[in-house]
Amino acid sequence: MSTTTTRLPNRFHSAVESWRERFLPDYQFLIDNWEKYFPKDERFELVAHRECGMCGIIECGEEEGKPKYTKACDMKPQQASHLLGAVKAQASTEFGSIQQHQLTLARAQSEQDQFWVLRMMAEELRHGYQMLHLLLEDDWSNVSDQSGEEMVEEILQMRTGSHTLGAFNIDFDSFVDNIVFCALIDRVGKYQLTMQKVSAYQPMAESMPQMLREEAFHLATGVVPMRRWAEESAKGEPFVTMEILQKHINKWLPRGVEMFGDERGGGTNVRYGLKPMKNGEAQSDYYDECDKVVRDLNLRYIRARDEKLDHKAAREVLRRMTEGGETVDGVGRPEDLISTPDKRFFRRRGMHAWELVGADGETFEDVEEYIRHLVRNLPEQYTAGRDFKGYIDLLRKVHAGELDGGAASREMPNLRHVGGVCPCSKSVRWVQEDANGSVAV
Amino acid sequence: MKIRPVEDLDLEDIAAIDEKIGGTYRPDVWERRIVYYIRRDPEVSLVAEIDGSVVGFLLGEVRSGEFGLEEPTGWVEVLGVDPDHRGQSIGRRLAEEMWQRFRSRGAKTVRTMVDEGMPQVSGFFRALGFEPAPVTSLALHLDR
Repeated sequence: MSTTTTRLPNRFHSAVESWRERFLPDYQFLIDNWEKYFPKDERFELVAHRECGMCGIIECGEEEGKPKYTKACDMKPQQASHLLGAVKAQASTEFGSIQQHQLTLARAQSEQDQFWVLRMMAEELRHGYQMLHLLLEDDWSNVSDQSGEEMVEEILQMRTGSHTLGAFNIDFDSFVDNIVFCALIDRVGKYQLTMQKVSAYQPMAESMPQMLREEAFHLATGVVPMRRWAEESAKGEPFVTMEILQKHINKWLPRGVEMFGDERGGGTNVRYGLKPMKNGEAQSDYYDECDKVVRDLNLRYIRARDEKLDHKAAREVLRRMTEGGETVDGVGRPEDLISTPDKRFFRRRGMHAWELVGADGETFEDVEEYIRHLVRNLPEQYTAGRDFKGYIDLLRKVHAGELDGGAASREMPNLRHVGGVCPCSKSVRWVQEDANGSVAV
Repeated sequence: MKIRPVEDLDLEDIAAIDEKIGGTYRPDVWERRIVYYIRRDPEVSLVAEIDGSVVGFLLGEVRSGEFGLEEPTGWVEVLGVDPDHRGQSIGRRLAEEMWQRFRSRGAKTVRTMVDEGMPQVSGFFRALGFEPAPVTSLALHLDR
């Protein structure tokens, strides 16, 4: 296993460092205390890594068996255009998540949890840097009017609200968001990176291995505190209870599911050799993984409630509670456990967008009753926020017959950069596209 | 049998195997250990799966500079096989895959330490070709 290491040309490297100073102000603190939390680990370095010796043959799609592309200009324009969209979306998510994590990083109760998240943020910055490297290293002029410089500028100017994917446009309200986001939304990242590891575009494929190695730690950064909180909740600690965990899972899992794109789509990426799985297939595997996280959290909870149970007995108690609906002496009621919300719950994009399906799969006839269900099952701070308000306004319109579902999905309000491309401009305002695609500020 | 890198989803299953072997449920110990290896190099530490269930694990990494050994060396820290699945060469399969990953990271030697009071473990490593190395493990008990 060997990798090459590249630094962006100075002015772009400096631009990312300036971005870091603004959105990751604790970076120096992380570096200064690295040895305390990560002894023996190599120090963080803001560089792009490319894996050497990877498969040079296209692994899926219409061109399977042919040599991979090393330059975008050799690809079919539509293929390169899809690829460019994926690189920009990936970059947007990496920078976007740092902006979200920064909002509530300081609220962590545990210094270790905080440092793990901080390291994860630094690594996300490197992942964004890696994508900028792809944009700058190649010539995209056959599929884009933007220069590499303009693309980098556009990405670095994005703010929470203007990112490409919905999950990165939702503000964090507490440190529980930082953790549940790592466990559920970074897990989508793992899938995307794994799929992109076989990309027909060799520089993309070579960028993935190091990102995936780092992503594995990001998932643990989420799952380990959640497991600890489940145990503490079982022992009666009032801080992060199972109910709070459930509400945050309900907040983020639907956004994670939607990040795969419409369940019926993804065939184009497979045909072009950019990913080996269609959206629905990858989404289904992802959902099963999240279900495993939830199941293991319940086991941890059950074992902390009754320490005499061994693993086998705890699994049997879990089965009785979840499948049989039993209350178990010394453990508790089925509703004390958490569950994976139904795939159709609280959706705004894809096949199940705007359906009135509850967390347990129950269906609602009345939209107001459904809204009350959502309010009961989502974090209070979130339902008081702008994202939820925007969703509810559109849900009401869709169910009143004033708007079709597809138009509603496109109309979720965005924060947009409205100050042109001047690098000194940092203005963002709430804007909404009207039906003609023009922008109202 | 499928051999794959360890991941966050394996925490509970590994703690359960350890409990079956040692009789104690120690999730926090395994969280610390597994996250350490995931953080360092998640592709080297491995689990074995049969029918989707984790039945064994092997944790290790390539390090340099331990005990004056400057060359990259593969270090094996811990092996666990579900007692219900012993005798299926799970440990050997895990080890062979790990050596391959050690090699790709430049290691020419694999090292481990075994408690001579656990002949089963010692026998397992000897069967894999390990032999005593000219390094002696010493201990000083500070509480005596």
